[in-house]
Amino acid sequence: MPKITLTNVTKQWGKFIAVNDLNLEIEDGSFVTLLGSSGCGKTTTLRMIAGLETPTKGEIRFDDRIVFSSEKNINIPPAKREVGFLFQNYALWPHMTVTQNIAFGLETLKWKKSDISARVAEMLRIMRIEQFAQRYPAELSGGQQQRVAIARTLAPKPRVLFMDEPLSNLDAKLRGEMRTELKRLHKDTASTFVYVTHDQLEAMTLSSKICMMNEGVLQQYAPPLEVYNHPANLFVADFVGNPSMNIIQARAKKTAPAAAEIDFLGQKALFRAGEDFDLNSENVSVGIRPEFLPISPSGDIEGLAYSTLPAGMETTVKIKVDDTILSSVVFGAIDYETDAPVRFSVSGSGILLFDRSSGRNIAVGSLTVRK
Amino acid sequence: MVQAMNKSDKKGQNRISSLLYAVKSYFSVQANVLIVLFAVLLLVLTVYPIYSVIRSAVTVGRMEAMRYNTLMHTKLSEGDLTILNFRALLTNESTFWKPLWNSLRMSAYASLIAILVGGTFAFLITRTDIHCKKFFSSVFIFPYIMPSWTLALVWKNVFANSGVGTGVVGMLESLTGICVPSWVVYGIFPCALVMGIHYAPFAYILIGGTLRNMDANLEEAATILQASRGRILRKITIPIVMPALFSTVLLVFSSTMASYAVPVFVGSPGNFFVLSTQLSSLYNTMATKGQAFVMTIVLILFGVMLLGINLWFTGKRKSFTTVTGKSGQVSYIRLGKANNIIAAFLVIMLFLIAIFPIISFALESMCEVQGDYSTLTLKYWLSREDIGGFAVNAGHGILFNGMIWQALWGSIKLSLIVSLIVGTCGILIGYAVARKRGTKLAGLVSGLAFFPYLVPSMAFGAIFLAVSTRLTFLRGTLMLLVIVGAVKYLPFASRSGTNSMMQLSGEIEEAAVIVGASWPKRMLRVLFPIQKSSFISGYLLPFISCMRELSLFVLLTTSGTLITTLLSYFDEKAVTQMSNGINLLIVIIVLLVNFTINRLTGASIDKGVGGN
Repeated sequence: MPKITLTNVTKQWGKFIAVNDLNLEIEDGSFVTLLGSSGCGKTTTLRMIAGLETPTKGEIRFDDRIVFSSEKNINIPPAKREVGFLFQNYALWPHMTVTQNIAFGLETLKWKKSDISARVAEMLRIMRIEQFAQRYPAELSGGQQQRVAIARTLAPKPRVLFMDEPLSNLDAKLRGEMRTELKRLHKDTASTFVYVTHDQLEAMTLSSKICMMNEGVLQQYAPPLEVYNHPANLFVADFVGNPSMNIIQARAKKTAPAAAEIDFLGQKALFRAGEDFDLNSENVSVGIRPEFLPISPSGDIEGLAYSTLPAGMETTVKIKVDDTILSSVVFGAIDYETDAPVRFSVSGSGILLFDRSSGRNIAVGSLTVRK
Repeated sequence: MVQAMNKSDKKGQNRISSLLYAVKSYFSVQANVLIVLFAVLLLVLTVYPIYSVIRSAVTVGRMEAMRYNTLMHTKLSEGDLTILNFRALLTNESTFWKPLWNSLRMSAYASLIAILVGGTFAFLITRTDIHCKKFFSSVFIFPYIMPSWTLALVWKNVFANSGVGTGVVGMLESLTGICVPSWVVYGIFPCALVMGIHYAPFAYILIGGTLRNMDANLEEAATILQASRGRILRKITIPIVMPALFSTVLLVFSSTMASYAVPVFVGSPGNFFVLSTQLSSLYNTMATKGQAFVMTIVLILFGVMLLGINLWFTGKRKSFTTVTGKSGQVSYIRLGKANNIIAAFLVIMLFLIAIFPIISFALESMCEVQGDYSTLTLKYWLSREDIGGFAVNAGHGILFNGMIWQALWGSIKLSLIVSLIVGTCGILIGYAVARKRGTKLAGLVSGLAFFPYLVPSMAFGAIFLAVSTRLTFLRGTLMLLVIVGAVKYLPFASRSGTNSMMQLSGEIEEAAVIVGASWPKRMLRVLFPIQKSSFISGYLLPFISCMRELSLFVLLTTSGTLITTLLSYFDEKAVTQMSNGINLLIVIIVLLVNFTINRLTGASIDKGVGGN
């Protein structure tokens, strides 16, 4: 089982830098998600690992085997890297039946006829598409095509499986189902999965590690909850989580080790961190997840209910304080009159402090509003 | 009793008024009006000609009656119905079966050459990192833009020699003294080769379009599954471009079957006769005119058969619709050291088929004695005197020749009118078919619009000549030429119109409907600008085709009306300097128009043909 290592990988098209000096280690058996908005270089990264794209610079290793190195002039073609690749639009061959599509890779590997038909039957059963065996792709629905594509990719038992936004063409319900199945598939096959998505929810729920990218640069590489609770910078903080984190401009002044006086939303508050930190400038941003802004009549801060979005299980309340609009998530369904006064507090120990100019996370702690 | 009657009366009235309402509401949608209008128009324009061909084939003419009466002791008189025309033609080995066999062979070889040359070129351009792609792909379509006989004339100019045919000395002999054998100069070899190269751009446009639009992921998926290059090509790429291959074969095969000028130039002098040349000679003899119409029916049947095969093939279960993927970056095959060699080879080939003809025409138009380059003169271009010699009534040199300027103006006028009509109809048909897609009427209209393609130009001319003998007010008028041209060039225009309309979702128009834009406004301000370049291509192709058309018009007009008919006149009179000069003129005008329009609007022949 291979561990995939990328060292200083860069991809350039003319002057445009798609991926910039990327270092990444994908552990064996893990489920790594490359997350970012479109054009951030995540698909390019995946294609470079698979060998479909040639990096401009850098080195890629599968365990100790170098599959690409610009210095040593090594570039092993994708076929020799023994990987599986699931395309966003499935890329099923329109002129072959479902069976022929699945069997193609096995025939290429010169499997015995009987082994091929056994394996194809097995894949059809696992993916629950037995009844479509003799159909052409055009005669299948999106979800069925997706299953065929997975079956075709998994048939030769690849040790590494690359997936490029495989669920983005499905409707919301089907996407949910396939997510569950992919997670099971990962356990069952015990392969390494590398998954590209722009959907932070998908990344959060599926992966063992998220690789967050922006404009070709790696932002953070950590397990999902770590990314959620301790985002490395403002970009990550804003990208992950729905509704997005409240990012409030503030002024900070160090008052004691691991403590600072914060001036925000017209209030004075005390910030206490678990460990000491440095303030480069007094211009900071405070990041508060919507679940850390509980609404109650006895809340510390007053605002107006700008808009209320009840979703049944929880309700997102948009609160306007001066010119800032904050999101708060409350369990259960409530509905506020538009522009009704609302009081809320800041709770918990997961409040984040960012340096505004660099965007870097400085500290995590709690925030107490002075009355 | 009275009440009952009243009731049923009322019921009837209700039914009529609801029917009226249904009709009225059906025709309040512009697409419905258009589709019905075109269905009717096209039915008239195809059914009537077919009817008149069949009628002419089974009716005895005056001369024919005399001939049959003396030969077969029949007692026929003019206007009788008969099947003798069929019997006479279908039992004639030398005028029918042998030319048929020749036509089929020539068309098959031409299709093969077109696919091999055009397909390979398409593969090189879309799948490898060959140098100067842009240059190659724009020069490669030269042979298609130029008249089909261009290469045939060049072939003659180069290879004719004192040992063959009329004994005119060609470039090769005059420069090196080499005399090539007769089969190289005349016959099936040059015919098939010239037609194949003329239509190779066609293959390139259609196959290249599919290759370019084909989702790169389809090939990558096979690469990942460890398939070799060869296996991918065999199992994935070729099967997927199969429909494009088939449509290329359909188009090249039927075009070659119908081609007239090329076999006349490099076939007939070597006693290589094909159906189209036989058709013309049958037609020009009064006593065999009926047989000419029988032959037209045969040619049409071949066209219908080919179209049927094509429809059957593409209509099969496996859908070939290629979903365009997001990864536009196909990884090109690296040619490495071979790159320079292949590029050099292409340069030489393109020079020979695209640039050299122009040079050759220029040279030949300046040779006092054909093939003798020591006798160069500008007399045939610049002389303000009558050229004289054995150039009967040739008039002044080309640049000062009133006849030529008049014919050129005639051609341009005709081409402009035809292309305006055809291009507009193409867009409207495209609009109607796209909006009504899936309905029987839409299928009928798009099928009928393609029908004229299956009728050889020569036969088409003959049909409309027959029509004009009945509708005498049309005879010899510009109007007749316009109608013939418009109908003949409709297939490509309606195809490109349909293609580009299909790409626009109905919502784009609906968005304009919502804000209250009238239908003409929606067409002119919304739909047209979006697909501007491909619509203009729908105008460009008929213009160019019309400018260089000969066989369609040759029966319908006098030699001085159009530049092409004048060209053919000078060629018949063996004033080769003039015919070469006129040819050069046509080629230059057509290329200039093509590149100007291309530069200004982005329209191009490829889009007109239905490529992408």
